[in-house]
Amino acid sequence: MLSALANPRQAAVQLMNFGLILSTAFMMWKGLSVISDSPSPIVVVLSGSMEPAFQRGDLLFLWNRNFVAETSVGEVVVYNVKGKDIPIVHRIVRKFGKGPEAKLLTKGDNNVSDDTELYASGQDYLVRKDIIGSVFAYIPFVGYVTILLSEHPWLKTVMLGLMGLVVVLQRE
Amino acid sequence: MASTEKITVYNVADLRATTDDALLNYLNSLGLIQSHTLLDTRLALGFSAFLLSAACFAWDYKFGFESTKQYTLVAVALYTLLNGALTYWIMFVERGTIYAGSTKDGKTKIRVISDSKKPKTKGEAPVYKLRIDVEDVKTKKTQKIELERKFSEWFDANGRFVAAPFQTVLAQGVPLVGKLDPKRAVAAAPASGGQGLTKEQFAETPGYTAEILDAIASGLGESSTTATDQGAGKKRRK
Repeated sequence: MLSALANPRQAAVQLMNFGLILSTAFMMWKGLSVISDSPSPIVVVLSGSMEPAFQRGDLLFLWNRNFVAETSVGEVVVYNVKGKDIPIVHRIVRKFGKGPEAKLLTKGDNNVSDDTELYASGQDYLVRKDIIGSVFAYIPFVGYVTILLSEHPWLKTVMLGLMGLVVVLQRE
Repeated sequence: MASTEKITVYNVADLRATTDDALLNYLNSLGLIQSHTLLDTRLALGFSAFLLSAACFAWDYKFGFESTKQYTLVAVALYTLLNGALTYWIMFVERGTIYAGSTKDGKTKIRVISDSKKPKTKGEAPVYKLRIDVEDVKTKKTQKIELERKFSEWFDANGRFVAAPFQTVLAQGVPLVGKLDPKRAVAAAPASGGQGLTKEQFAETPGYTAEILDAIASGLGESSTTATDQGAGKKRRK
């Protein structure tokens, strides 16, 4: 099986096939990103703070363009807190003002209080550009795989290794 | 005669891959000059698509999404085009071509497309399908030859490839190959309903020594006495 290495062209074809699998997955992700205008168009719910609407492991699809109406109260949005890299899925409960500078307050449906404590120190509200998208569709539970992967990092190595092995060994 | 590597005779993909490799080696050994243009074009398309996405990954990683999204949009569009071109190339231009080449004088071009077919009835050997286009460069006339033969004609029960009967199939089925390898072209009787060539059939053929016959029959021969067999033992994988 490893005799592919004897022929540079065949080795190049196999390398290319493996590379194209990775790059196609990446470019599909980026395609979704530019269409939805969101840096992260698909996210997985990590906490139970939005129950019963969303459970841990739900896969959410985001849309970050305002063609018809502004993002407003009642929408479930995903936002990034300044300085922290964890996106949070919560609902907008208050909105003051209009346009890109409107002040937004969010809260998890299952939380007792609003999100002011979650925001960065000195930050009392969100503005439109903090939001990376509104939830417009979801698939329950399928994202649980990624929770498993992030909680047990060695699974990633195992998965990547298996994928690589299959591609290298297969001729068809 | 037979390659030293054994394969599983129940694995059709393996049968085909091994036969494809032997076919390349055989045709090249006859003095045909292999052209790699088809495969090289595929590699160029594939790798430029890959490099584009690698660049996209790099600027996305370094500068973030917001400041680079115009470039990302262009990259995604371009990647889609390149990948589409690659798919088109593989499906409609290469069409499973395993060998493209020309004669030394450059007057004739040959192109071989291979496929395999599972048997309709259980227990029969799977079939190797060849489509061979021989083009006269001057007159642009193309001779299209289709061959369908059972793998069992050139694989023994142990899964060893036996070069002689396979080369005979090609030399008799394709006039150009027959011309380059007249010894094989006259060897043995023509195709008899997909049956493997028997030892008796070979025995009637001039040019075979008892030693070679035994080697063919047992499928274990290691000696290489004819020039045409020199590459048959080398394996290549796609």
